[in-house]
Amino acid sequence: MRFHLPEIHRNPAGFDALAYLYAQTKELLFDDIEIDMKETHWFDADMCAAFGAILYSLEKRLNTVSLIQIPLSVKEILSKNGFLSRYGGVEIPDQWGTTISYQRFDKNDRYVARYVENEFMHRSEIPKMSPELLKKLSESISEIFVNAISHSRTRLGIFSCGQFFPTKERLDFTVADLGIGIRQNIKDCIELDLSAEKAIVWATEGNSTTRGGNVPGGLGLKLLGEFIDLNHGCIKIVSDAGYWQRENGEIFTALLNYRFPGTVVSVEINTADTSAYRLVSD
Amino acid sequence: MPDRIKISVFGIVGSPLCVASSDGQEIYNRLNTALEANREVALSFHNVTALTSAFLNAAIGQLYGTFSEKKINSLLKVENIEQDDQDLLDRVVDNAKLYFENPERFNRVFQEVLEDEDDEV
Repeated sequence: MRFHLPEIHRNPAGFDALAYLYAQTKELLFDDIEIDMKETHWFDADMCAAFGAILYSLEKRLNTVSLIQIPLSVKEILSKNGFLSRYGGVEIPDQWGTTISYQRFDKNDRYVARYVENEFMHRSEIPKMSPELLKKLSESISEIFVNAISHSRTRLGIFSCGQFFPTKERLDFTVADLGIGIRQNIKDCIELDLSAEKAIVWATEGNSTTRGGNVPGGLGLKLLGEFIDLNHGCIKIVSDAGYWQRENGEIFTALLNYRFPGTVVSVEINTADTSAYRLVSD
Repeated sequence: MPDRIKISVFGIVGSPLCVASSDGQEIYNRLNTALEANREVALSFHNVTALTSAFLNAAIGQLYGTFSEKKINSLLKVENIEQDDQDLLDRVVDNAKLYFENPERFNRVFQEVLEDEDDEV
């Protein structure tokens, strides 16, 4: 089959387009799937995490995936971050060192520290950030990964990708998983049946945890939201058909037309921020 | 036998980034053994540069499900911790105490908040 991919921005339409791709292909087995990107004139680089997760699930069902008619500018971005090399393309050098390469991790949280050290702490190319921001950034990125690993129950791994924008002084970073999603996790663990967007609200606020048992939880996404507010950044979460966004303390939720087969957490970090971070106790 | 057992978080995790809950579990296992034996423990965060709530929940938060707050306060001393990490630890401990007080209620309270929001619409 051939699927026509539109522009992919990190917004509800972009997530919906990827969820639609999944909806159209989820039953396919042993098929040839061509993703026609003729109309994909824009692709937010970090969205490779969500795109890659879906393509990985297609290949898991022994479909052959190819990306065709990619506009030159998009092809360059997806080649620099190592995404296209997984689909027959070549990886080209990232001259300015502004990409955070596309990665797939197995479900082991011990890799997270090394990855964060290599990609964020020990890179000379990253924008100059205050020590406080670099610490909070590494903690927040780690929190997203560990949260995905603990809660998704995925056997397909965790996918990540990012991009620095030195002139805009911004860092975009996205982590995606193909797990059961926040809504189903809440339903399974504590028998709360919420809508997809309410489920994300539940997971990001208040004293909420699906962990059960001996280890308390439920702080990770809440702390992340607090950091993003202080940083004047933005966080977007998609899970199932729910879309949730927090920017400057304002929360926006929406229902997508199609279900994303897992959870995506995407952050935009203001790298020029010089705040000294202190978390206020409840 | 020393009066107080010293446990280095950095030494056990092997990285200044203490973020994985599985690493937190390693710390918990040691603390749990020491507290069960009524031994005083000095838990040092020397050289630790990043912490997550997931790590601290596993390492320290779950102690509150096994031991009384009084016992933890009297036997466990945290050392060489940065102020913002101490703030995070305080949040984790408050959260853990609330959770173990009544795990079911912990989640239900927020469900009620969501339902109230629905009623207001």
